[in-house]
Amino acid sequence: MKIKTKTQSALLALSLVILFWSCSTISVFSPEAYKQAVDLKVESLELISFATTPYSDYKEDVEDLKTELNKAYEFSKGRPKNEISTKQGEILINPDGNLLGGFLKRWKEEENLSQMFVTEMQVLVGDAFDTIIGLESGKIDPSEIK
Amino acid sequence: MPNFNDFLITLKDDLLSFAEENLSEYKDEILKDGTNFLDKTKSDVERWTEGLATGSLSPADFEFLLKGKKDLAEMEALKQVGLSQVRLDKLTNGIIDIIAGSAIKTFL
Repeated sequence: MKIKTKTQSALLALSLVILFWSCSTISVFSPEAYKQAVDLKVESLELISFATTPYSDYKEDVEDLKTELNKAYEFSKGRPKNEISTKQGEILINPDGNLLGGFLKRWKEEENLSQMFVTEMQVLVGDAFDTIIGLESGKIDPSEIK
Repeated sequence: MPNFNDFLITLKDDLLSFAEENLSEYKDEILKDGTNFLDKTKSDVERWTEGLATGSLSPADFEFLLKGKKDLAEMEALKQVGLSQVRLDKLTNGIIDIIAGSAIKTFL
């Protein structure tokens, strides 16, 4: 009888874990995605700070950053149930938008930008990264799922 | 010997206290985030308007910043939608725990 009760409890626990996974609506926390976002925020804000000087001096750094941003975007896109974070990344790096992607495009087109504009864009891009970091850090850690 | 009605009574009590604890906390968080974003937007636009008037920002800079704020608002909204889904998943997880707990309390 005791064996039967233990087996029933184990089956119940297993069913509940399966039930949770099938009911979850958004990806769980990824330490790798979190680290990528934090690192890219620091690198992006540093590079933006040079945008009062000629773009041609930083052309390679901009291309390197774009490559890293695209890698992070593809990583996000490949994670299951991660559409919302991916959409955030898309807005951030869109060259026809008005955050990081658009800023880098404008720097290239105009060669250098005004001090106040650069300072204000640093704040906007920093806040944009914070929305990505805030969502990722708010997700459920897989260890919390019993 | 407990029956299924005992289980339902225990479950109902546990679920009610769980919902009371969680829902008011979530409501406060959402209101706080929304208010902070609006306050920051107001002070940013005021500063940019001043910059435009003094010539520190060109009309093109000003327009770019305003559109950037719109993009940021969209990203913030996506964050809130995502966090709501996380809360929903946590509630589901919590409810599953409660059902299991109530069943164990009643039957085992």
